Amino acid sequence: MDFRDRVVLVTGASRGIGAAIARAFAAEGARVAVNYLASAEAAAGVAAACREAGGDGWPVQADVRDADAVAAMIEGVGAEFGRLDAVVNNAFAGHAFDPASRTPFWELGWEDYDRQMEGTLRASFNVCRAAIPAFARRAKGSIVNLATDLVERPVIPYHAYTTAKAALVAFSRNLAAELGPQGVRVNCVAPGLVYPTDSSRDTPEATMQRIVADTPLRRIATPEDVAGPVLFLASEWSGFMTGQTLYVDGGLVMR
Amino acid sequence: MAELAGHLPGLPAESVARETLRFEGWGRRVEVAVPALTDAQTEALAANVRDARDRRLIGRSTGEIVHVLDRAVRSLLDRSNARRRKAEELLPAVTGYDPETVRLGLTSYLKTFREPQLDTFVAEDFSNPAILDCFQPLRKGGYGRAVGPSLIAHVWAGNVPGLPLWSLISGLLVKSASIGKLPSTEPLLAGWFAEAVAEIDPGIAECIGIVWWRGDDERQQALLDAADLVLAYGGSETLEDIRDRVPVTTRFLPFGHKLSFAMVAAAALDSDKADEIARRAAWDVVRYDQHGCYSPHVFYVQRGGTISPRAFANYLGSEIAALAHRFPRRALHASEAARLSVLREDAALAAVLGAIEVAGDDEGKWSVAYAEDDLALAPGGANRTVKVAALDRFVDAMPEIAKYAPFLQTVGVAAPPETLFHLSALLGEAGATRICALGEMTAPEAGWHHDGRFNLLDLVRIVEIERGAEAAAEELADYLD
Repeated sequence: MDFRDRVVLVTGASRGIGAAIARAFAAEGARVAVNYLASAEAAAGVAAACREAGGDGWPVQADVRDADAVAAMIEGVGAEFGRLDAVVNNAFAGHAFDPASRTPFWELGWEDYDRQMEGTLRASFNVCRAAIPAFARRAKGSIVNLATDLVERPVIPYHAYTTAKAALVAFSRNLAAELGPQGVRVNCVAPGLVYPTDSSRDTPEATMQRIVADTPLRRIATPEDVAGPVLFLASEWSGFMTGQTLYVDGGLVMR
Repeated sequence: MAELAGHLPGLPAESVARETLRFEGWGRRVEVAVPALTDAQTEALAANVRDARDRRLIGRSTGEIVHVLDRAVRSLLDRSNARRRKAEELLPAVTGYDPETVRLGLTSYLKTFREPQLDTFVAEDFSNPAILDCFQPLRKGGYGRAVGPSLIAHVWAGNVPGLPLWSLISGLLVKSASIGKLPSTEPLLAGWFAEAVAEIDPGIAECIGIVWWRGDDERQQALLDAADLVLAYGGSETLEDIRDRVPVTTRFLPFGHKLSFAMVAAAALDSDKADEIARRAAWDVVRYDQHGCYSPHVFYVQRGGTISPRAFANYLGSEIAALAHRFPRRALHASEAARLSVLREDAALAAVLGAIEVAGDDEGKWSVAYAEDDLALAPGGANRTVKVAALDRFVDAMPEIAKYAPFLQTVGVAAPPETLFHLSALLGEAGATRICALGEMTAPEAGWHHDGRFNLLDLVRIVEIERGAEAAAEELADYLD
């Protein structure tokens, strides 16, 4: 896939899946805006890795839950690179994928749902709102939103997290319907458990083995596994796809 | 900065010369400064740990020692513990095994040394563990007490991280002082364990010396001369060399290289079970890249199930490939790579001749050879190369297996109960000492009899008070009427 001269914004890209996506875009020649919240040093490292991989990388701080900060970030990307071709909404509110310490439904408060909605839905809302004018200039653009296969199959009921991701899928479909006529495509990538990341570091081995046993391809996803389908959906290879969700979980969910 | 290895109670740090071992892997360079003692220092160390044993170890009960060891092991199981974190950071570069294998391996290994497991370990060898603490009545009459050697010399191997802990802990359980020689391939964990013990109970840690020399260096003589018992791990040549150096009055317990394999019965090969069996089998192959004495090299697979041995070989290859995503094979040394490439050429030739079929990835990171009628139990090139041999009856393989009688150890078996016991009898006759489930070949259970021997009983001598001695003593009692 050739992303030479293309500009891609990846949110939450200082580590884990976001960092792997940023590096994969850069390896195909893209200029990548590496958004981060607090890990400036890690983001600088990812940007450097992007440059080493043959593309370009530019770390850009913004709390994606904050509309003003996002507007400033998109403006900054425009000033730095002069265009915007694709956006990957990868950032989300911190969440530990540890089944043993997850909170059961009856102990959750609405604020727990709020927090995930803020981190996932509001963040994507802010970024999409700010990015659309940049796409409109060439009547072309691709938005890829990171969901989870738990939406289809809640192997472990992480209530607030998964509910917010389900909302993101519905959000993406509506946006796809709205923006299709303007040449902007909106799709989702829904990974299964991805290991290792900071969020999945504490996932017990037994849980992973259970998931592996039920997964036709017999392993857990790596951050790099997620990058491929994201690049595909951001590229012209998927030029006639919108409103879709691609599951990247070794066949655990099939639909 | 180089990581200091070893444990040298009583030797002033500044007096100890060090050599640097360099390791590189998984994006990290590690330098380990190992102690290079003079003969006089080795002798002084031997005197120190022996003296510490007399003063601070033999008076303790085995229960107390178990408790201290448990706390030390507990600290190394705690992933937030500084020493554990260091182990997870440094051991991948040092051993070559990927970080996930190291992390999971450490936990799975260390947890077999917690208090309940250590109690099992002791009870397995002594029906009355108190015999390690004081004289206990014997069934034949009289009294007996188990006494460990004053000083045990250990010569360790480093094919799997943490291996030295087995014999080190065994030595402490029988209240012996120990001096262990670190393997150059994994010179760290034993010292960290001694440090962990020192934090909890400095007295017990003073009975542990950990030293280093390269290969069959003359320096080992001073230690072999000082010890009352020598425990050594390694290949036949190494063991023969050590045996020739051990004084005739010193007991010598050698643990040589072993050969392990697996057997899968037709009953395990239906469409529901076969892939799960293959997944467990793949784990045994991938864990430590077959460098453990318990790692399988050949799978004997019975014909007659819904899933044929050939299809099982395919499953096994796919599962090994899938595991490699999370547990990549370690980088090979030049000699290993050369051996693998020779074996690969041989296999390619055999495949052309129609004797076997070989599956594997393009880079040679794993391979599964499938043989219709070749039951030879040959150790392959390890590093994720296995043979699946089809057979109608397991007895057909026994003549081939028996050829390796002195080397047999673990057999992973997937079979229904009757077959399990029938096979185990045959395998035991042939020389195998451990029958286990597939998926558990690389994780022997707590208290296992290593190579069929008694871990603790082999170390001690029994001191007996005969019945007559007690009767005679009674005659001298001051309370006699």
